[in-house]
Amino acid sequence: MIQYAAILLMMIGLYGLLTNRNVIKIIVSLNVLEIGLNIFIISIGFIYDGIAPILTSTNNSSGLIFVDPLPQALVLTAIVIGVGTTALGLAIVKSIYSKYKTLEIDEMEEA
Amino acid sequence: MMSAILLIAIPLLAAFLSILSKKIAPALLLLVGAANIVLLMFIPSEIVVIGGFDLPYGINLLMDSYARIALYLVNGLFFVVAILNVVEYKKLSSILLVALAALNGLLLTGDLFNLFVFLEVAGIAAYLITTTNKKPLSTFNYLVIGTVGSSLYLFGLMILYGMFGTLNMMDLINEIQTTGTAYGSLILPFFLMFIGLGIEAKLLPFNAWVKGILKHSNTLSGPMVASVYAATISLMFGRLVHNLFAFEGKLLTVVVVLLIAGVILGEAMAFSSKKAREILLFSSISQACITVLLFINGIIVWAVYLVIANALSKLVLYLVVNKATESTNSDDVDELKGLFANNILVGIAFTVAALSVMGLPLFVGFVVKLNYLTQLAVAGQLVVVALILVSSVVEGIYFVKLLIKLWYAGEKEVNVQFNLPYKAVFAVITLMIVLFGLYTAPLDSLDNSIDSVQDQIEVIYHG
Repeated sequence: MIQYAAILLMMIGLYGLLTNRNVIKIIVSLNVLEIGLNIFIISIGFIYDGIAPILTSTNNSSGLIFVDPLPQALVLTAIVIGVGTTALGLAIVKSIYSKYKTLEIDEMEEA
Repeated sequence: MMSAILLIAIPLLAAFLSILSKKIAPALLLLVGAANIVLLMFIPSEIVVIGGFDLPYGINLLMDSYARIALYLVNGLFFVVAILNVVEYKKLSSILLVALAALNGLLLTGDLFNLFVFLEVAGIAAYLITTTNKKPLSTFNYLVIGTVGSSLYLFGLMILYGMFGTLNMMDLINEIQTTGTAYGSLILPFFLMFIGLGIEAKLLPFNAWVKGILKHSNTLSGPMVASVYAATISLMFGRLVHNLFAFEGKLLTVVVVLLIAGVILGEAMAFSSKKAREILLFSSISQACITVLLFINGIIVWAVYLVIANALSKLVLYLVVNKATESTNSDDVDELKGLFANNILVGIAFTVAALSVMGLPLFVGFVVKLNYLTQLAVAGQLVVVALILVSSVVEGIYFVKLLIKLWYAGEKEVNVQFNLPYKAVFAVITLMIVLFGLYTAPLDSLDNSIDSVQDQIEVIYHG
């Protein structure tokens, strides 16, 4: 079920990317898409009634049900990359604003 | 013992060091660029297991003939572009080092999530390189489209992980083959990954970013995006298309139609353009689609040669046009009339590169085109052959028109100075294009077995 919610979030992000003409809103839409994707990745490793994949003095049996730790590691990397891209995007937005004095794509002239 | 991991680790380490001392950054860039090419000669062909985690649990790098050819090409081209631009764009030295590490990683990695990471790192470096175009809106479009592409690739990959529980390319291919999974259930993830990578590979209709970037490119961003990045992405994409996606059924039809449309529309748009950089960028789109068509049909070795021939030719074409544009402030073909009247050597190099892209005899482009068309015909793809031939005629017309205008002087004298390193690069590439056009024995010595993914799977999983 959570996967449908994640895909819905991705679709909202995609819709925002296609319909917004403001560069900041485009970056926000891109982040919504990425968050949807990150939730989807996490949901892949979800196991009902599973516990955190950490061996402790109480949870030390291989018979226990652990959730898949790999998607959690992957999503950390994906989040870091997403933050990097967003930061770079915002830096480019700053130079767009210095050049055109507007954030609306329709008001910019770039042949 | 030399390991392929050094090709990624050394540029990455140098990138960090170059941030600490800006003065040594350009020297480090050239040193590491040259060291990587030398290092390649001593690295054995093997599967490199990282961190002691055996396949498929850890990340592995696959160094075979295919990767070696790709690495020689990409590192060589990268070094040439770096040498020609290191003085003018020395502030970008650290970014170029990160780009080199990511491009080498893309060609070597056998892990599909690791490939996503390298794709994003290479992408971020490319966005920064294209900021030198001084067209921030085009760079922003590139960033948004590139990030959506990477996200779609990752989405497709995660669906595959959910289905098969592995991220390793060879393990995944083995799982698909041994479990006998119906191709119908793989269409969605494969198509998502194809679109994601297609955006970076400039395939129509996913290439909306290309025009904004290459139309305003300079002597760094033009050759870097159209030659170095294009070659890397094509070769990495080719490996996946051939081994993992192995399109069949309706998906094959959809992909082939998209690619043929890309070939024809790319040539048609180049034909209708009056700007030199636009002509080259639309021609690149068409060539990228032909390359993927060859990989889909299993014509690996000629696809690789096509990528090599195009990368060399496009390097010359973009360097000449971008240098001329920098001097004249216009890339309108009519404004560049008579460019070669005072630059005969450069004119010869440009003409040879253009004629090779067209596929005329005496040049390497002809040998490659003849062979891949023959193999496509043998594979029964006569419609594809006919359409490529028609597009070649269109390509011939616009390139000849371009050459005539650039050779014959107009009303205004065009004076562009090409310095010695440029002329040396042009001379070497021209000689290579002519040499391998006349002496084809080395080209015939390789066959489709340069890509060893299927052989490795046989050895690892089936003894």
